[in-house]
Amino acid sequence: MRTKLIIAAVGVGLVMTAVAAQAHHAFSSEFDVKKPLVLKGTLVKWEMINPHSWFHIEVKNPNGEVVEWMVEGGSPNSLIRVGVTKYTLQIGMELTIEAYQAKDASNTAVGRNFVLPNGKRLFVGSAGGPDAPPATPDTVK
Amino acid sequence: MKHRTLASFGVLMIAAVSLASAVIAGQSPSAAKPAAPAAKKWTAPRTPDGQPDLQGYWTNSTYVPLERGNNVTKAFYTEEEFAKVIKEAAAREAEQTEPGTIADVHYDFTQFGLDRSQSAFVKNDLRTSMIIDPPNGKMPPLTPEGQKRAADRAAERRRAGATTDAVQNMPIGTRCLIMAGSGPPMMNAGYNSNYHIVQGQGYVMILVEMIHDVRIIPTDNRAALPENMRQWMGDSRGHWEGDTLVIETTNLNGKNPYRGSSEKMKITERIARVDANTLSYKFTIDDPGTWTQPWTAEAPMTKSIGPIFEHACHEGNYGVRNTLAGARLEDRKAAEAAAKKTSN
Repeated sequence: MRTKLIIAAVGVGLVMTAVAAQAHHAFSSEFDVKKPLVLKGTLVKWEMINPHSWFHIEVKNPNGEVVEWMVEGGSPNSLIRVGVTKYTLQIGMELTIEAYQAKDASNTAVGRNFVLPNGKRLFVGSAGGPDAPPATPDTVK
Repeated sequence: MKHRTLASFGVLMIAAVSLASAVIAGQSPSAAKPAAPAAKKWTAPRTPDGQPDLQGYWTNSTYVPLERGNNVTKAFYTEEEFAKVIKEAAAREAEQTEPGTIADVHYDFTQFGLDRSQSAFVKNDLRTSMIIDPPNGKMPPLTPEGQKRAADRAAERRRAGATTDAVQNMPIGTRCLIMAGSGPPMMNAGYNSNYHIVQGQGYVMILVEMIHDVRIIPTDNRAALPENMRQWMGDSRGHWEGDTLVIETTNLNGKNPYRGSSEKMKITERIARVDANTLSYKFTIDDPGTWTQPWTAEAPMTKSIGPIFEHACHEGNYGVRNTLAGARLEDRKAAEAAAKKTSN
C-alpha cells in the first residue's frame, strides 16, 4: 500500500470541526500548534484506552523509511456504548490524519481529523455513518 | 459533514416534558402551556427489600448551565425556546475551528461520539439554570473568608510556577486523581457523564464513569466518621425520606474544592425516581466559610446506556509524560540559545 508522509501547513479546504466540550487536559501544552502535519499511512494498532485512545500508524517517509506514529484520539467509552469494539477498525486500513505534532518532537501527535481513503471523515461514533441518528437508550440495546 | 441536529419533540414528548419539569421543579414553568390530560399515576418501583429502586444507568449530561445567563430573566424556557437553545448549542459543539489556532489543537469530539447531543442527555429539564436557590439562579456572593481563600489559592498557584514545571502543578483531573463528575455534588463532566446505581441492604453504590470513582453510601444509620478523617469525596451517609434518598456528606479533605469551597462544606443530595426514565437530583451546598448563604441546585438525570466500560484513566495517560517532555525540550532549547548568545 502506498504511503507517504507529508509535512505541511494545514491549508484552506480541510474540514475542521470544533471542540467545545471540556477537555481532560490542556492539549496545547502537549502538542505544538506550530507543527501541523498530515500523516498518511496504515493502521497497525488502535489502543482503546482512557483517558484518550491512540492510533498507531505506519508512515513511509519520502526517503522510503517506514516510521510508526502514535496519534491521539477520543475516549473509547462512548464508542463502546454504541457497539464499537477494537475490531471495528481494520488493521491495515489506510488513514490520512490531519494532526499536530507533540512538543517533545517525538513521532507523537493529536489527530485533528481522521480521513478515510474515499475522502470521508472517519466517524467511529456510529456504525451507521455520519448521518445516522444519535444513539439513545431507545436505539441501543 | 452534516451537523447533527436533534430530533424534534413530538406532541407526547412535549406533554411529558411539561409534566416532568413541573414535578421536578415543584412549580410550573412561567410560560407553561395548558396542562395536558393527567397521565396514569406512576408508581416508583421497589427493591426486593422494600427500598425505592433507583438502580440502573443514568446520565446527567445536560445543556443547562449551573448559573443563569446574564441575558436570561426567567427560570424556565418554553419547549420551543428550549429546543432552540439545544439545537444552537449542539451546532456550536460541532462547528469548525480555525486551523493553526490553539482551539484547533485537539481531536474532534464529534468523530468519537463525545458531543453531548450524540448520546443520551437530559431533555426534560426546561430550567435556565441548575441553581434554584437563590432564585436569581446565581451562586451567592463569597464571604470575606471565601474571597481570601480564593486569593491565597491563586497566589499559591503562581508561586508553584507553570503547570508544565512539575507534575504536582497539573490539575488533579489531568493527573487522573479525581474529576468533576465524581462529586459530591455529581455534575456533568462534559462527556461520559454516566452513573451506575446499585443498591444492597444498608448501602447504595454509585459508580461514576469519569474516572471510575465509586461512592459507597451506607444507609444503615451508622455513625459518621470522626471529624479528623478526611477523604477526597468526603464521608457520606444516606437515609430515606419517603421515596427520596437523602445523602449528607462532610469530612472533605479540601484537595478537590468545588467552586472554591472549603473542606468544611456540607453537601446534602436528594435523589428520587420521578418516572421510569428520570431521576430527580437536587443538592444543597452549605459552606458558611465560603458563601454568604446555602445554595441549592437541581440537575435531573435520564436513562443512559450500560454497561459502563472501565475508565482506567492512568492506563493511557501519556499526556502527562508528553507534556512534561515537551516542556523540558523547550527549556533545553532556550538554555542552548541563551548560551550561544552569551558565547557570541
